[in-house]
Amino acid sequence: MLDTVREIETPEGISLHLRAAGALPRAQAWMLDALLRMGVFMLAMIPLSLLGVGGNGLAMLLLFGLMWAYSVVCEVWMDGQTVGKRTLGLRVVNADGTPVTWVPSVVRNLLRVVDALPGVYGVGLACTLIDPHARRLGDIVAGTMVVHTIELPAGAQVPTVAAIPPPVVLAADEQAALVEFAERSGQLTLQRQEELANLLMPLTGRRDTAAVSQLIAHANWLLGRA
Amino acid sequence: MELERISVVLRPRAPREALDLGATMLRANARAVWSAWFAFTLPVFVLCNALGVVVGLPWLGLLLMWWLKPLFDRLPLYVLSRAVFDRAPGWRETLRGQRQWPWGSTWAALSWLRIDSNRSLRLPLELLEGLPRRQRSARWSVLRRRIVADASLLTYGCLQFELVLFLSVWLLTWMLVPHEWLPDSLRDFFRVDVHAASTVWMLLTSFVAYLAMSAIEPLYVACGFALYLNRRTQLEAWDIDLAFRRLRQRLLANGKVLAVLLACAGCWSLPAHAAVSPQGSQVVPATSLEQVFQQPVDGADRRFADAAVAAYRDPRFGGERKAREWVFKYTPAPQAAPVSMQPLFPGFAGAVAMILKLALWLLLAVAIAALLRFIWRWRGTRVGIDAVPVTPRQSLRAQVQVDAPLPVDLAAAIRALWQARQQREALALLYRGCVEQATRLLQLPSSLDMTEADWLRQAASMADRTRAQRVATIVRTWQFAAYAGRYPDDAAVESLLAGWPVQAGSSA
Repeated sequence: MLDTVREIETPEGISLHLRAAGALPRAQAWMLDALLRMGVFMLAMIPLSLLGVGGNGLAMLLLFGLMWAYSVVCEVWMDGQTVGKRTLGLRVVNADGTPVTWVPSVVRNLLRVVDALPGVYGVGLACTLIDPHARRLGDIVAGTMVVHTIELPAGAQVPTVAAIPPPVVLAADEQAALVEFAERSGQLTLQRQEELANLLMPLTGRRDTAAVSQLIAHANWLLGRA
Repeated sequence: MELERISVVLRPRAPREALDLGATMLRANARAVWSAWFAFTLPVFVLCNALGVVVGLPWLGLLLMWWLKPLFDRLPLYVLSRAVFDRAPGWRETLRGQRQWPWGSTWAALSWLRIDSNRSLRLPLELLEGLPRRQRSARWSVLRRRIVADASLLTYGCLQFELVLFLSVWLLTWMLVPHEWLPDSLRDFFRVDVHAASTVWMLLTSFVAYLAMSAIEPLYVACGFALYLNRRTQLEAWDIDLAFRRLRQRLLANGKVLAVLLACAGCWSLPAHAAVSPQGSQVVPATSLEQVFQQPVDGADRRFADAAVAAYRDPRFGGERKAREWVFKYTPAPQAAPVSMQPLFPGFAGAVAMILKLALWLLLAVAIAALLRFIWRWRGTRVGIDAVPVTPRQSLRAQVQVDAPLPVDLAAAIRALWQARQQREALALLYRGCVEQATRLLQLPSSLDMTEADWLRQAASMADRTRAQRVATIVRTWQFAAYAGRYPDDAAVESLLAGWPVQAGSSA
């Protein structure tokens, strides 16, 4: 089964799902960051240009900081998110899902030079398109990856009805499917709801509207409502 | 469409995440997609450029290849749509199969919809669903809601990626090939207007652009297809559908309920349209490179040149001599004297500059001091840190085949293992047998992710107290053996082997 998820199992038996971010969202985030940095530099140049040689020196320092330190500082102190990444809901994490620390962040941002190689990020783009977790060279060397953080807004609250326990014991993923159905049924057309509920005839023993309401009652029971 | 055979994980994703799924699908089916792609587009590329050369407009090939993109898009989409629900088709099958798809939308995309930022999303709707016109527009308005911005961003993103790859090839060539090797015409090519560029370079440009397009265009189609799949998952709850079908299968297989099978499968409707073959223009490739530029006629004054030569022969001007000296290869261009702007606060600016200068010297001093201190501290120590030999601990790892069916005579198998001093394996087998019997007794879904603690909890909820007690004892025994290395004596094992879970038929 194809997916963009990198699964990591902790020693406690909990599986973490890291949803790797691909080339397109990352390019958009980079573009936002570049525009932001350019804007900051231009604004800062207005007062600095009045200071002659000393101002030029300060401007060079600022440029150096924006080019080399901006990403590292943002990634370490802002939960692995530069401003552009935060806007697009991306985050840099270590390959095992832990928050990114100084050394990996510095390494991946130093290697940006290689990824940017012919001057237009050609190497980075090619590498991101080929790698299964969409990592660029800097990420591979530093052992980091960029993941999506935005969760889709869950469906509406499950409508409260009298709870009915399901007649058989359900596995965890089956329970999750029932609750998901109850949450998202508001987004589906009536016909589709009934079509889905009819699939579970063996469970509910009913059809159409009665089956839908029965499934929602089961979901209420699974959610622990009285 | 048989949803059970889908080969991607369905769940509602944010549109941006769906784009990444497209890239993953493409990566998984790369061979099928690109073999079909090159089998069709490479001849078209040759034809288009040959046409351009014959007509005398070498840039025509570049333009035509860009213009025909919607035609090429059909191939990756055909491969991916088949690969997702079935298997990836070979390139011959793809070329034949996509001809059956409707052509109306492709003609529209080639003409008045050529500059349409939603093409990636329109493609699957029009080619895969093949609805009549009126329904299609209603469906389009539902489908595009909430993702139309992402589809546009995808288009611009892919355009940028193509440009990046195109420029990368040229820039890498420029950086890696020594400049002496680059022909002069390349330099002219960069300086002179595109219309006046020589044909060879124009064709090369066209080829590089074609390579960039070949890399990115399938990605564009795949991402659009993923957006489409995600939107339909959202609208029709495909993931829930799949989960319900699996549950239904389990319930029916358990034989608890006899239910009538309900047919509720939609299907990709694929109406057969008349196949229209693309009109390939029959032109014979001909190459005739004419020398357009001639050497400019020497218009200098003949008499002046002769006089100058005579003057230089005069010994008073000194003869010829050879001198060798090293010259810097890249002479710096003469810089215009910088127009220095008078700073507003000359005193302040000078002070800032002075402070920065002082700070730099200070930094140097600190660095040297730190270096000296480092040398002082570590002067006596040697590098040799002898590796302490580590005695490897006896590994407790044992190979247990979880999927292998249990032996028919469980008790005998366990006893044999126990007497062969494979105590751990024996208890593992006992535990597995116990778990299987308890699953059967409680009619639980067969899943492998129940821990020992889960089984103790299940045992507590059993109606039969004796059996519950036996399950708890076996689980405890196994836990002591597995995690603490404490094994029971032979008598205890024998007592565990008698009775219910091992002798499945017995009452308790």
